[in-house]
Amino acid sequence: MTDQDKLSGKSFYEATARERARGLVDEGTFTELCGPADRMSSPHLPVLGEAIEFDDGVVTGVGLVGKHPVFVISQEGRFIGGAVGEVHGAKMVGTFGLARQMYERILEEHPDELAERLPAVVISFETGGVRLHEANAGLLAHAEVMDQIQETKGKFPVIAMIGSKVGCFGGMGFVAAATDVVVMSELGRLGLTGPEVIEQEMGKAEFDSADRALVYRTTGGKHKYIMRDCNYLVEDSIASFKEALADVLSKPYDEIVKNRRIGSEELVDEQLDLVELSCEIQPKDARDVWAYFGNEDPAGIPEQTTEEFLRAAKRR
Amino acid sequence: MTVESMIGRGRDAIDMIVEDGSFHENKIGDWEAPADLGPGAVVGEARLGGRDVVVIANDAQAFNERFPVVYFGVIGMEEAYKMAKTVYRVIDQDADKEIGEKRPLVLIVDTPGNGPGKIEEIFGMNKATGAYQLALAEARKAGHAVIALVIGRAISGAFLCHGLQADHILSLSPEFGTMIHVMPITSISRITKMDIERLEKLSKENPVFAAGPEFFYRLGGVDELVENVEDMGSAVERHIGEVEAAKLSGEPDASGPMYHGKLGEERGGRTVRLPVIARMREEFAAVAGEYL
Repeated sequence: MTDQDKLSGKSFYEATARERARGLVDEGTFTELCGPADRMSSPHLPVLGEAIEFDDGVVTGVGLVGKHPVFVISQEGRFIGGAVGEVHGAKMVGTFGLARQMYERILEEHPDELAERLPAVVISFETGGVRLHEANAGLLAHAEVMDQIQETKGKFPVIAMIGSKVGCFGGMGFVAAATDVVVMSELGRLGLTGPEVIEQEMGKAEFDSADRALVYRTTGGKHKYIMRDCNYLVEDSIASFKEALADVLSKPYDEIVKNRRIGSEELVDEQLDLVELSCEIQPKDARDVWAYFGNEDPAGIPEQTTEEFLRAAKRR
Repeated sequence: MTVESMIGRGRDAIDMIVEDGSFHENKIGDWEAPADLGPGAVVGEARLGGRDVVVIANDAQAFNERFPVVYFGVIGMEEAYKMAKTVYRVIDQDADKEIGEKRPLVLIVDTPGNGPGKIEEIFGMNKATGAYQLALAEARKAGHAVIALVIGRAISGAFLCHGLQADHILSLSPEFGTMIHVMPITSISRITKMDIERLEKLSKENPVFAAGPEFFYRLGGVDELVENVEDMGSAVERHIGEVEAAKLSGEPDASGPMYHGKLGEERGGRTVRLPVIARMREEFAAVAGEYL
């Protein structure tokens, strides 16, 4: 069994950021950029007496999927919940710059092969957003990442992978929403306001953050798939996420961007209709919305395997 | 000099900034924003410096009856999509105009947060705030000058949503009680389990951590502090001119978030950001050929 075989079968949920980064691209093609050897760590954490990591909680680099150069950003939840500080944010921003550089180079050197060589940025999210220990720098980095995503529009795709322990919340929740394609497993969670914060702001009656099933119904992969906020729902293995990535990249760019949920006036109009619908349905729970979209046994959905769910699910 | 807090006074601020009586709420060219949509966000056309501008502001006095989490300036789903829709209308209506003729977007910022709630999460508040940011970034890249002015609160994700995508960001100075931060110290202490006394000491001097517009200035997140409410209009007007000149120069990232990153380096507030990006470029240059 090769190293890659071991990685492929591994649970995406359990995998480290580095395992995800290596496993999402073709075997042996991943080069980490600004890795731990560079010791680019946060200068702000030591001031607070906090431990640092030499990669600042994010693995960045480049690999290949077929002929596609894939620029990977993979966040590590084990380090301060994958939160974004100055260095972590700069690594994200830097990665987009390299992808753009590659895109320009392919345009120049291989203009006839742009489709098969089209670069992509893949973000494996595991984060609660801004790192509070260096909150202001983290906040400003989020704005830069949003700018960089807009900069890719019309050029090459940005793909979100969400299926790790911490989920994808806070400011990174809207960064994920702004990508072209969202891939999740049913264990993935995506939102803006984390469960604990909703409970703190609105009270336990509105949202009990300890109720794991409620949290999954509201933010989990199956719910997001029904809402079409997630485009691909896959099994919890690195191989399944990679397969989805390869499938996305096999399509023409114009097809890929049809997965977007926001990013144009037409899509905003669509979302405004959905907001209107939320007033009509007044759901007490995500299950009410699932039922509205034609799922006959909403209570049974959380129990279904991914395969069963994908066969039967009725989506927006 | 007049020092009075502008917190909760988004509508007053519009009148103080634009030419007298020139604000037409909900009018964006030939498009009319629905009157009952997203009351926490005020949009419309006005005159400033002898030209048409589009204003997008928070109204902290408004309450959204359909979405009860929206009050005191909170940006809910309706608000964010209304803001995004406004921006897209402006881009489309001015598509054939040159830089300098395209209407500037003036964002008046006084918001404590994005809508936190169950319905918001079920329907995807993250999309709403993301949609508005993408719209602003598109407007900026299309040649519109986007100027944000913080008059009260610019807190965390709501500031990212409404403010941080601007070309230039201005803020009333700290004497006005202007608040720019991610989270109050007490909450940071609770979540990070760090000692509150240590945090309080740091919060007075450490710009990556401390709350207040003067610290965001040092990080390059605020271009200029405005020290007088009477100067708000002229400051916005001046920055519109500067931003349009920067766009006409054709230089990439001469305004907007990436420019603010460079500004943060220049002002000594964010010193590791650029070295990290430079290191990545250097390392990639050595291997790029293998990926072609």
